[in-house]
Amino acid sequence: MTTNGAARRVSQFTLDNGLRLVSAPAATPQVAAVNLWYGVGSRHERPGRTGFAHLFEHLMFQGSGNVAKGEHFDAVERLGGDINASTSTDRTNYYETVPEHALDLVLWLEADRLATLREGMSQEVLDNQRDVVKNERRQRYDNQPYGTALERILRLGYPEGHPYHHSTIGSMADLDAADLDYVLSFHGRHYGPDNAVLTVVSNLDPADVRDRVERYFGAIPARPSAAEAPDAALTGPIGGPVRDHVVEAVPAPGVFLGYRTAPYGERDFDVLHLASAVLGQGQGSRLYRRLVLERGLAADDGGAAADLLPFRYTPSLMLVNMIAREGVSGDDLEAAMIEETEKLAEGVTDEELERARAVLERDHLQTLSHPSGLADSISACTQLFGDPELAYTWPRRWAEVTTDDIVDQAKRALVPENMLSVRFDPDDTEAGERPAA
Amino acid sequence: MLQTRPVLGDPKSYAFPKPRRLRVNNGTVVAIDAPGQLFASVRLVHPAGGGSEPLDRMGVAALTNEALEDGVQGNSSLAPALERHGAEWVSRVTWDSFVTGVDAPTNRLADATALLAEAVRTPALRDDDVVRRRDQILERFWLDASVPSTLATRAIGGQLFTGRYATPLSGAPVRLKDITPEAVREFHAASVAAVAGTLVVVGDLSGVDLEQLGALVFGGAAATPDLPRTAPDSAPGELPRVLIVDRPDSVQSALIMAHRAPSRADIDLPRADGVGDVLGGMFTSRLNLELRERLGYTYGAGCRFDLRRDSGVFLVSTQVERDTTAHSITATLGEIDKLRRDGVTEAELSAVRESNTVGLPVTYSTPRSLAAALVDIVVHDLPDDHVDRLRAGFEAITADDLAEGAREYLRPEELVTIVAGDAKRLEGPLGELGIGPVTVRDPESLWS
Repeated sequence: MTTNGAARRVSQFTLDNGLRLVSAPAATPQVAAVNLWYGVGSRHERPGRTGFAHLFEHLMFQGSGNVAKGEHFDAVERLGGDINASTSTDRTNYYETVPEHALDLVLWLEADRLATLREGMSQEVLDNQRDVVKNERRQRYDNQPYGTALERILRLGYPEGHPYHHSTIGSMADLDAADLDYVLSFHGRHYGPDNAVLTVVSNLDPADVRDRVERYFGAIPARPSAAEAPDAALTGPIGGPVRDHVVEAVPAPGVFLGYRTAPYGERDFDVLHLASAVLGQGQGSRLYRRLVLERGLAADDGGAAADLLPFRYTPSLMLVNMIAREGVSGDDLEAAMIEETEKLAEGVTDEELERARAVLERDHLQTLSHPSGLADSISACTQLFGDPELAYTWPRRWAEVTTDDIVDQAKRALVPENMLSVRFDPDDTEAGERPAA
Repeated sequence: MLQTRPVLGDPKSYAFPKPRRLRVNNGTVVAIDAPGQLFASVRLVHPAGGGSEPLDRMGVAALTNEALEDGVQGNSSLAPALERHGAEWVSRVTWDSFVTGVDAPTNRLADATALLAEAVRTPALRDDDVVRRRDQILERFWLDASVPSTLATRAIGGQLFTGRYATPLSGAPVRLKDITPEAVREFHAASVAAVAGTLVVVGDLSGVDLEQLGALVFGGAAATPDLPRTAPDSAPGELPRVLIVDRPDSVQSALIMAHRAPSRADIDLPRADGVGDVLGGMFTSRLNLELRERLGYTYGAGCRFDLRRDSGVFLVSTQVERDTTAHSITATLGEIDKLRRDGVTEAELSAVRESNTVGLPVTYSTPRSLAAALVDIVVHDLPDDHVDRLRAGFEAITADDLAEGAREYLRPEELVTIVAGDAKRLEGPLGELGIGPVTVRDPESLWS
């Protein structure tokens, strides 16, 4: 057992089958937040099988050996609980927040689909969820202005064949090609207790939580062998500037810049994370003050123009994104964004760094103020770094970063050789043109 | 060996935390102590929402609310000042309220609240700042309207109401562009600066001086007045009917089906919300099960009531693959008819009862959600034990109540169906549905 401050006590335990359990106290009564991080994401997908980790996440709600289709959602929703799941490049998470007395039920539901999902699977549910995911793709990517930006960014940021070259949602063709046999084998390869972190945030005694988890998960065998992830090693800069220029029905020019940086968890990542906050997080950030307020080049986004896309197993990306004001060309906006970004290398004030730290710490506290946010942070820190305490102590990493560190990092990473640009410009020949306001 | 499904014991009884009320100067502080929650939520509630704007000043409340972010020194000075305290500005205008506030670490709460107070009472509201904000809102209106679901949702007001509700809260371009900095300053002086309002505070309050916070925020402002409101008239036109907002080549259609509903005060909330839950309030609701989980037409479908002080709206919303649009509409109507005809199942009744009672500790597990409940109580003049009364209403609800609620609150004959999608491919199939005449409009013609 480890402790961190008087009010925070995290307990860790690894079951014989490899399941890593972490329990932590909730700052709110009568609630249990359950969060499972499986170490499988779109980085495990092969060419021709993109979108599969995410499609699989959908299938996990479609019934298992002892749970009918829809029953998992129904059981949690009728308790007034929160329930969902998400898939990224590096992991798939499943989570429920329920009244405390329902903890056993949620553990049982999670254990049942981990152990017996294959018994609930059928061609019919696969076909249905494939259609649902294709509509998710339409809703989030294809029918949204700038919706394909992330896909295009990844294509430029990572070479063909690299496991981060494609997006989590996958392609329509690959989704069409998904077959039942592959679904079943995917579950076998990636879904074992030895590939999962289970976090429970509640006010129950950690020993009690451990007993319950043992009861429901203890008998599930580990996978015969751990699945291998495709090689994601990548060194050096992007080799830029590399560009993708899209002309389609968007309301105004949109600029997306990307810069390659260190994997999530490394110090250079933290440094650039602070740099991104100086540059583009909050209304005190440089991009907001210069391009929104002073020069009137960019649409008011409230100060959300820069952030990091965190990848644990390959270099991450810093993203900078703004939309042009009326009468401002994409070229002018892009040039101004690049100028501000590269100018970080000329110096950052103590005041700017202080503000950036406060902004990141605020977001950190916001996340931890919700039991499910705390549970997810703990699962992340345990799965990715083997240290649940990091969920509480992460801001200490920012405390040590200096303005010189940011300047050094900017000189190395925020340069044309390391830059990608995805540009959207309105197709003025179509009806998608914006009317004069 | 795997375990069998556990049988749940009884939930612990839950009571919504009793708020502390304090009269300070001419205002009221309403607070909940949430021990261990070190990130607090502070909200200042004024009744000056968009619904009470005169028709020649539509959008002034929303513009003023944004312009407050320019702070006492102008030029967007508020947010950076808050950011240095690790605090965040949280504000919004609804039809019934003008809300400002901060989320802040409890140990910086007094500093952050002092910034809130001066931003609300003595903002600069300089000409060039107000004009910049106004022009940004005008441009953002069309950026946002390029998102199909936003486009469809924004069209509801003009289809259901005349008067203020016919135009979006932000005023829409044609109205907003005429709002002058002088109009903003007048509105602010009369409806915000001079009015004390009600201060909501939620978080770990050990070491927090509520009286001091109240005095900081209220100063010498006058007591909050009651704003008289009269129920709005309906938009003219045959019902039911269909409006296609043309979005050429869209691969999906953003679909809204809406009709008027009673006001918040006039509706029986457990019955209405219960009906909403069964039809479309949850993942396992009928619309989502049919349109997503059986037919695979959508990523999600749902419905809700949007209830205001003087009126309300019921709406179904979803985004469906283009070629399934017509069938999605008939399937939705089929679900509404079935619910009105046959009522709810025992399983649905228990889901409504349980999810709205035993789930309360989950619903109110953050300072933000507790603060939102208090804001709701303030805006709608509800008693402090409103949440517990509501729970009692759900505990007592019967299948007959829900069946009756479905017949009373769901009115398919009054539905306006709004589709943001490819008119060229949709007009024909939708015209054949027998759900009223079909009109096609370009988005830009809706708010000019």
